[in-house]
Amino acid sequence: MKKWMGWMMAAGLMLGGALAKTTLTVGLDSDPPNLDPLLSSALVDRQVQNQIFDKLVDLDENLKPVPMLATGWSVEENATVYVFKLRPGVKFQDGTEFNAAAVKFNLDRYRTAQGSRRAGELAPVKEVQVVDNLTVRVVLKEPFAPLLAILSDRSGMMVSPTAVQKLGADFGNSPVGTGPFKFVERRRQDRITLAKNENYWMKGFPKVDELIYRPFPDDDVRTANLLSGAVNVITPVAPKDLEAIRKNPNLSANVFAGIGYQGMFLNVNKGPLANKALRQAFAATIDRDTVDKVVFLGTAEPANGPFPPSSFAYDKSIPVPKPDLELAKRKLAEGGKPQGFSFTLTIAPGPVLAQLAQVYQAMAAQAGIQVKIEQVEFGTLLDRGTKGDFEAMAVGWSGRPDPDGNIYDFARCKGPQNYSGYCNPKVDALLNRARSVRLLDARRDLYTQALKILLDDLPYVYVYHPQTTIGLSKKVSGIPAIPDGILRFRAAGLGE
Amino acid sequence: MTLFVLRRLIGGLPTLVLVTLLVFALTRVLPGDPALLLLGEEATPELVAKLRDELGLNRPLYVQYASWAASLLHGDFGRSLRDHAPVGPILWQKLPTTLELSFFALLIALLLGIPAGVVAALRRGSAADAGVTVVALSGISVPNFFLGILLVYLFSIRLGWIPPSGYVEPWVDLRKNLLLMLLPAFTLGTALAGAIARFTRNSMLEVLSQDYVRTARAKGLAGPVVVYKHALRNAAIPVVTVIGLQLGGLLGGAVITEQVFSIPGFGRLVVDSVFNRDFPVLQAVVLFSALAVFLVNVLVDLLYAAIDPRIRYG
Repeated sequence: MKKWMGWMMAAGLMLGGALAKTTLTVGLDSDPPNLDPLLSSALVDRQVQNQIFDKLVDLDENLKPVPMLATGWSVEENATVYVFKLRPGVKFQDGTEFNAAAVKFNLDRYRTAQGSRRAGELAPVKEVQVVDNLTVRVVLKEPFAPLLAILSDRSGMMVSPTAVQKLGADFGNSPVGTGPFKFVERRRQDRITLAKNENYWMKGFPKVDELIYRPFPDDDVRTANLLSGAVNVITPVAPKDLEAIRKNPNLSANVFAGIGYQGMFLNVNKGPLANKALRQAFAATIDRDTVDKVVFLGTAEPANGPFPPSSFAYDKSIPVPKPDLELAKRKLAEGGKPQGFSFTLTIAPGPVLAQLAQVYQAMAAQAGIQVKIEQVEFGTLLDRGTKGDFEAMAVGWSGRPDPDGNIYDFARCKGPQNYSGYCNPKVDALLNRARSVRLLDARRDLYTQALKILLDDLPYVYVYHPQTTIGLSKKVSGIPAIPDGILRFRAAGLGE
Repeated sequence: MTLFVLRRLIGGLPTLVLVTLLVFALTRVLPGDPALLLLGEEATPELVAKLRDELGLNRPLYVQYASWAASLLHGDFGRSLRDHAPVGPILWQKLPTTLELSFFALLIALLLGIPAGVVAALRRGSAADAGVTVVALSGISVPNFFLGILLVYLFSIRLGWIPPSGYVEPWVDLRKNLLLMLLPAFTLGTALAGAIARFTRNSMLEVLSQDYVRTARAKGLAGPVVVYKHALRNAAIPVVTVIGLQLGGLLGGAVITEQVFSIPGFGRLVVDSVFNRDFPVLQAVVLFSALAVFLVNVLVDLLYAAIDPRIRYG
């Protein structure tokens, strides 16, 4: 009897071991607001969306577009037509077929559906045509080089047309795609649970059975959860916590280049900074290396403009501006304020942002420029930005893989995020040309010309490129370091 | 008794109407545009204008208020601006969590506060009294978030006994639920425990000096009987009042405690909806909290009668 029970228990244990579900838990810095790519406007949404939805193209470690749901593409008719060949045999998680009609449905929905947040970036698309079941033609109004990069983000995410038709406005609460993980459940501010897509087109993937996302807005709480083992991966990691994670024998920290930038908008239409010489004086006080060392403990990349070193548009012949007090004083005199002046820098709440503002304040003070720091909640900050109701404002950008996405809406006349109110037809002409040319070297050259004007006019002071920071258990493997900062869990494994 | 309850409830109606007005006005006074926040990085002036129109934010304020109040009467809290989810179910999903947290916090506060207050009163001027006073004052003055992080550091990171944060429904895993509730309930309960201890001590001291206590002692009744049956019961009324008033504060404290321990309750919901200017959710949560405080105070009135037989509600 005893022996028999022993055998049963052993068998049970073996069976349990074989069936044990592997669950990977990821800690994010906020609860993703909306999982429908059509309506999504927050960076954090993309962390989850990228597991549920495949895109037409993906990005590799060098930000180069690579095949995903499109196996290949050709560019025709003076770069005004893109023809995509689609991957055969792919099914949505609801069992329906992925094909050319589904691609047309998706792109048309992003372009025209009510309230679409994608309409802007897809505006250059004139028409989407189904050629055959696995071929799609995207016809453009004019040549538009950023298209592939845009299709590697939310505009290229393919959602199930059947599910959209069934769920309507509630699609974001039960999303269906073709990705490696399917949506199971979400509890607001608590967790989003995804499960392995058993019929994923890439055989043998994904490797873990369950993927859970949990939001921890507080840096300390997020780190505490990683240290205690309650979550396996966190992103981002506060710079101050990297040391503690690296010291822990079970954990490691990854830091790699990002695609965004941070800095300050300077209002060119009102207040003391409307004076160009005074903008130049203030900008000359900023020591980007010190910012990197003091505030970010070496996890930020000093910036020479909006394009990070990973971008093809990055021009290394443009130096990262060095602090120059002599220049600052000359410019103060030129601007008619040899004794210095004062202005208000408006920032969003947060310990790091406050520290950063104080560092700027101390640097400016050396030239006799007084910076008053005003902290307002983020919604208020955006509101005042759109109204041009500020003197200087610290707001950055999460970045887009194509350089166009880092400059076009910010520097052109009346661009939607041109909070400075800057307008220069010469810059506009260069930026428009850079969108329509496909040759990378030619594009870089145009961006460099535009950037040189911007660095002189200074509607924005580019200070640094934030890096992607990840803290993870040493048992976790297979997460590629893609500069867009999104963790792809398709190949992720959880070892013993 | 029933009549009293009815009268109190009906008497509370104007207050609630006032609260709805106040809540509505406050959310609209907040600077920041929900449409702008929803669109985030993708905001363009045309999209913002279109979205404001879709969300009904361009209608005159009194029309917005009237339509909200009208749907409230039908038990409909509207839909979240963020993801279009109906607000009612979100509330029902979050409510039990915060109720559980508040319940355990209150329990801990009572278990710590009342005995401490009684001991301090009985040994007035002793080291125990001084100790209770110091601990109680620290409990009141140490901020929730600091105590919370301290506890997480000690019990979760150093000792590794308790997961640092999160929530599991009791019907999913009761043991884990209770374990996870321990630190947040303690964090939230300490401030209330401090207040209860101080009030119990003062109230007990007053009662203990009354003639009937002396009489009871003179009759030769055992010490504990005098203390618990005669003194504590009479001392309880001011303490119950304080607890009732402090429950509102408990809800406020839950906002911070839930943030520190990542508990998906009312507190997190309110913070999230403020940051996103999710007006329908924010209005519903605040209205609900006001209703809860109001009901607790009715309950406190009823408790008076239960504790003190001289109080009768006709």
